[in-house]
Amino acid sequence: MIVASIDWGFIWDHLPELLRGLRRTLEVSGIAIVGAFAIGLVLGAVRAYRVPVFSQLAAVYVEVIRNTPILVQIFFIFYGLPQFGIRLTPYTTAWLSVMIWGGAFNTENFRAGFGAVPARYREGAAALGFGSLATFFNIVLPIGGRIALPSSINTYISVLKNTSLMTAIGFPELTNVARSIAAVTFRDAEMLLVTAVIYLALVWTLSAAIRLLEGHLALPEDVR
Amino acid sequence: MSLPSWVDPVARYVLETGLKNTLRMAGLAVLGSAVVGIVLGTLLTVRFWPSRALIRLYVEVWRGLPIIVTIFLIYFALPSVGVRFTAFDAATIGLTLWGSAQVAEATRGAVQSIPREQHEAAAALGFGWVGRHAFVILPQALRRLLPPMVSLLANVIQNTTIAAVIGVAEVLETGNRQVERLTYTTFESHAFEIFAGVMAIFFVISFPLTLLARHLERRLVS
Repeated sequence: MIVASIDWGFIWDHLPELLRGLRRTLEVSGIAIVGAFAIGLVLGAVRAYRVPVFSQLAAVYVEVIRNTPILVQIFFIFYGLPQFGIRLTPYTTAWLSVMIWGGAFNTENFRAGFGAVPARYREGAAALGFGSLATFFNIVLPIGGRIALPSSINTYISVLKNTSLMTAIGFPELTNVARSIAAVTFRDAEMLLVTAVIYLALVWTLSAAIRLLEGHLALPEDVR
Repeated sequence: MSLPSWVDPVARYVLETGLKNTLRMAGLAVLGSAVVGIVLGTLLTVRFWPSRALIRLYVEVWRGLPIIVTIFLIYFALPSVGVRFTAFDAATIGLTLWGSAQVAEATRGAVQSIPREQHEAAAALGFGWVGRHAFVILPQALRRLLPPMVSLLANVIQNTTIAAVIGVAEVLETGNRQVERLTYTTFESHAFEIFAGVMAIFFVISFPLTLLARHLERRLVS
């Protein structure tokens, strides 16, 4: 069967190359996740507080990104923008496109999180003499951020998975490296199976982290 | 104001060839996902650990892998054990594996949300396990499944673009070919306009579906 015919020595020989690809996957994901976190935090607050004009602009951003395929967004950035003199390297396109994508989903996550903070907490803060900014930073952000955490980690997992699409623009992340090795050695099955195992290990670890965090960060009144 | 002369052939190729393939692939994948996902999701509620473990593995693997890796596995790795698919079929199967994992998870939740009394009443009327689920439980669960199925349709339509990577002539790939053709024949790039047009096509299809899913979701809650 498949497993019996796998050439383990071949995989071992090419492991360092694959791991370099993995490092680029993680690097690009890391940058994108930090950026998507910042975008989500700011625009999520803008949406939750219905800041005039900015809230509508953020809504357009979210709907455009969520309702168009990310691969088309990548092509648009990589092949479309040079027409106006904006030439981005595959590396920049890689982190930028998944950051923009993750930021849109995160805006929704944080908007929902901030919106789910019970009004009585904000009333309590007002009664204690907190201004609106102080209420946001001391009450809405910590509690709403906690509520938004599981769904935002889900977005980060998708960001990591979506970096695999950069193989289409030739950025040597994990999937692209695996394909390149297969292209010259014809060991497609070996390379793709190792790649699949690496992705599953990453995604399953992060999913397990969500479940742990969900229990740990649940608001006291939700724990019955 | 009339459109530049390059627009018409591009639009016709993208809409007549590309959009047709995109919609055909999405239709097949959603249909397959619904059938496989609803069966697996219902079986996931049966308290028999070996079947549950196997279905769990299926769901977690196809949900966990990037879709492009799944499609690559089918298109590039399976031929080494003698199984060959066309690019269109490989991409459709890859999307179905991913979609059915989503549907299975949603179905499990929907079936479990049906009160136990419904099972008991159906059993009292003499329904066996299959009849009970097919005629009593699933019809009620479908109401809950509708919003996620509409979202799935929107997502599958968007994800058909991944098939472009293995050369299927769906909307993105047809647009891409036209960009290249124009670059080589006219020495000017229209990548910006064409990919913006491709984005517009997907937005016009996906946005109403997103709104519909949201509407159905809200109606379910109230």
